[in-house]
Amino acid sequence: MKKAFCLLLVILVFANSGAQVNIAIEGRVVNENNSPLAGATVAVNNGKHFTVTDSEGYFRIPDDRSDSLKITVSFVGYEKYARLTETPEKGSLILISLTPEMQLLDEVSVVSDLAARIKRQETVSTEIADRNHISMHRGGSLMSSVNGIPGVSAIEIGSGHSKPLIRGLGFNRVVVVENGIRHEGQQWGADHGLEIDQYAVDRVEIVKGPASVMYGSDAIGGVMRIYQDAVPAANTLSGNIELSGRSNNNLIGGSAFLSGRRNQLFFTSRFTLLDYADYKIPADSVEIYSFHVPLNDGRLRNTAGNETGIHASAGIIKPGLVARLSASHINSASGFFANAHGLEPRMVDTELYDYSDRDIMFPSQEVSHLKLTGQVRYEKGIYRFESEAGFQNNFRQEKNNYVNHGYMPAVFPGDNGSLQHLEREFNKNIFSLNIRNFFEAGRRHSLSLGINSEYQDNQTGGYAFIIPDFRLLSTGIYLYDRISLGSRTNLHAGIRYDRGRVQTEESADWFPTPVEDPDGGGIEDVFLTRAQAIDRTFNSLSMSVGLNYTGELFSLRANIGKGFRMPTPKELAANGVNYHYFRYEKGNNALQAEESWQADLNFEYNRPQFGVELSPFFNYFPGYIYLDPSYRMDYMYGAGNQVFEYTQNQVMRFGGEARVRFDPARNVSAVLTGDYVYSEQLSGNKKGFTIPFSPPASLRFSMLFSPKGRGTLQEPFAGFDIEYAGKQTRIVPPEKETAAYELVHLVAGTKVAGNNRQFEISLRVHNLLNRRYLNHVSYYRLINAPEAGRNFIFSLKVPLTGNNK
Amino acid sequence: MIMKKTIIFTAILAMALYVSCDKEERDTELPEIFMGGEEHFPHNCDTIYLGESFTFRALFTDNFELGSYSIDIHHNFDHHSHSTDVAECPMDAGKAADDPFLFIRQFEIPAGLREYNASQVIEVPEGVDTGDYHLMVRLTDRTGWQAIRGISIKIIDAESQPD
Repeated sequence: MKKAFCLLLVILVFANSGAQVNIAIEGRVVNENNSPLAGATVAVNNGKHFTVTDSEGYFRIPDDRSDSLKITVSFVGYEKYARLTETPEKGSLILISLTPEMQLLDEVSVVSDLAARIKRQETVSTEIADRNHISMHRGGSLMSSVNGIPGVSAIEIGSGHSKPLIRGLGFNRVVVVENGIRHEGQQWGADHGLEIDQYAVDRVEIVKGPASVMYGSDAIGGVMRIYQDAVPAANTLSGNIELSGRSNNNLIGGSAFLSGRRNQLFFTSRFTLLDYADYKIPADSVEIYSFHVPLNDGRLRNTAGNETGIHASAGIIKPGLVARLSASHINSASGFFANAHGLEPRMVDTELYDYSDRDIMFPSQEVSHLKLTGQVRYEKGIYRFESEAGFQNNFRQEKNNYVNHGYMPAVFPGDNGSLQHLEREFNKNIFSLNIRNFFEAGRRHSLSLGINSEYQDNQTGGYAFIIPDFRLLSTGIYLYDRISLGSRTNLHAGIRYDRGRVQTEESADWFPTPVEDPDGGGIEDVFLTRAQAIDRTFNSLSMSVGLNYTGELFSLRANIGKGFRMPTPKELAANGVNYHYFRYEKGNNALQAEESWQADLNFEYNRPQFGVELSPFFNYFPGYIYLDPSYRMDYMYGAGNQVFEYTQNQVMRFGGEARVRFDPARNVSAVLTGDYVYSEQLSGNKKGFTIPFSPPASLRFSMLFSPKGRGTLQEPFAGFDIEYAGKQTRIVPPEKETAAYELVHLVAGTKVAGNNRQFEISLRVHNLLNRRYLNHVSYYRLINAPEAGRNFIFSLKVPLTGNNK
Repeated sequence: MIMKKTIIFTAILAMALYVSCDKEERDTELPEIFMGGEEHFPHNCDTIYLGESFTFRALFTDNFELGSYSIDIHHNFDHHSHSTDVAECPMDAGKAADDPFLFIRQFEIPAGLREYNASQVIEVPEGVDTGDYHLMVRLTDRTGWQAIRGISIKIIDAESQPD
């Protein structure tokens, strides 16, 4: 395994050096292996002075001639350092060693910063978005805040929900891991968004390629690892309040955070509240299929919503042992665009709907997600043990006025008001357990042996059937070896065996259908079977082999891996109308596990002020599971809608990302990124066509000016992003070609030091030119609804306390 | 290293060539529904009668091959659904459904056709609710593209009409 790190406590060392005599105080920030940390933020005496360490980890601050200094150092991926010290004598150097923060998932190796550390761990292309990136790009939901990373896009469902799309693969082809536990919701559904509070996210790591060896089924397109609020620094009590506002959907919201630690015991807590109105698009009307829907003031009718998040964690941290218990509850309610839901495009009572842009009327969804996680990490010598156990409950309801189709009664029977509006309900319990052992074998091998197990039980309700109740049990065991071939080169090899069982229950209609007796017995009323019981077991062997070379300037990674995914209960047993897209979807019990072979390369050339990165990939699916639109319609239960049936075809994909960064002037940095994916079905009815949700080629140019702070203004920045998405002509029914578009975004912000506190203010203008455009991978693309127009996003972060306790 | 670069370069070039020579032409066009002609029935705002049959007539076309079509007649007493035709029809007062007429059928189109004159006799039974209805036509082609067209119609009782 990666070289195990030994220290878990902050160490302060004073070291002599023959440095030049100066009126300033000088110091150096290093990691646990004494490698310099470049770019760490150093603050003195509660924000009186700020600086950032240079490429060798050195910093200088003015000497106030006071007796003591309070120094805080923060660097992503490391525990925040905060310590009161005596002012050192002139000429001496303060050496500050940071401790990696608790990351139960990743394994720490000896490199100078987190990004490089992660890149050394992975032989597949990996991207990182930290808290700074997220707050600078703050969108309506986590994925829209992570947007802008090449190869990663967001399927946005209105303005408050989104889910990840990695190189064009999403839904059940991407695993989201939070606090070490797989986040399980109803991710098979197009209207499902990640139930994750973006304010509680410290960092997101996105693996752009198959990672089934470590994560098992579904990690076929990639993995998104989410790290929550980190362990606080020793002997601190601190908190902050973040406030956000967005002009487009009149969002107001914020998050309050409080954490503390006394020696070995710590806690964190957070409360988040968001409320937003219908979002605005630069259009007076939209055309849904051929239905003309006028809008009031450009507002997409009934897309308002709200969200609350409550988080708490407590734990113990001491040499060799970290244990943490976390609990979170995310609750959200939001409306669906009222004219585009149900059996057909609808003209709604506009007066009623447009009376308020903040109310949530039908159709709507309410989601609550409870998560309890326990994490343990123990290490001794060359051995390390990590484990996570979790329980999740995902409860989701879709509500709408009752609309009959097929032989459903014209009027909902009985007088139970709540059932009559309950279109669908899903109630899922998830139990997870992960165990990992790491040990060094000889001088060359770092081995890890792990087991992951997960049990899901999903109960469904509501008057409209789409999937049956199901249970799912999966277990996988893997062995991973990192073989050191000299100091710069590692060979990675992993193998995993998975076994999963999917059981669905038989489901029958709640209403009778008249059926002609084949034996001539006349017409009988029958409660038709909607889904047969299914009991399927899937086995899979996954593997990966990779090479990682890290040189002074040049680094190279190469990987070949096989990923797999068990068919979802929806793919096996769906049988109902998808109200979002006016279609009838049918499962296929003959589907086999989906497998994928992928080859990845990644080159990087990095110098100060200049860097290039290139990440091509090639991918082949022998049996990609695809929802194929047939030419048939269903006139029984499907209300005449077109039948879409799950099939399995050969699919080939290739593409990649490129990134160039350079500093055109002092304090100015520029980044140009681009991505491209080509997909083609090689067999089946849609041979020659692409697969759904193929993102267009895109380019993004960002420039950021970050001058030196002056007076109370620290670390000010201002910049712009120009985003260009190409025309997408590679489509598959029922998609439509999407025109190219370009967007301009502005961003500016600063930290304001004063009164023992440091405030952070930022303003972002999204879609400055109020461009009307369609996003090819957006949930509302199929109904031709343009994306949100110009949006001013304001955020303010106020520390509650900056003092040690 | 040079060897590796050559391989990669060749691979990228091969892929670029693969993409640029789009071998067979894909069908990317939706089928079309024509219901506005003199010979077509019903038109938006037309009336059909209780206990009588009428003949649905429309023209379907596609660039490659037609698939199938469905006709769906359902009540619009709640005035919530609307037609694709720009002109709005005068509506009766809204009411609750009692025994509304419901007709949903799929019809095959013979294989290999690019143009098809649909003609389908539909019977409106006695005793169903009169009032505002909605007639929707969905047409697919063999590739799976779908076109939708909906119009508003009225079902009235010819015998109770004062004439």
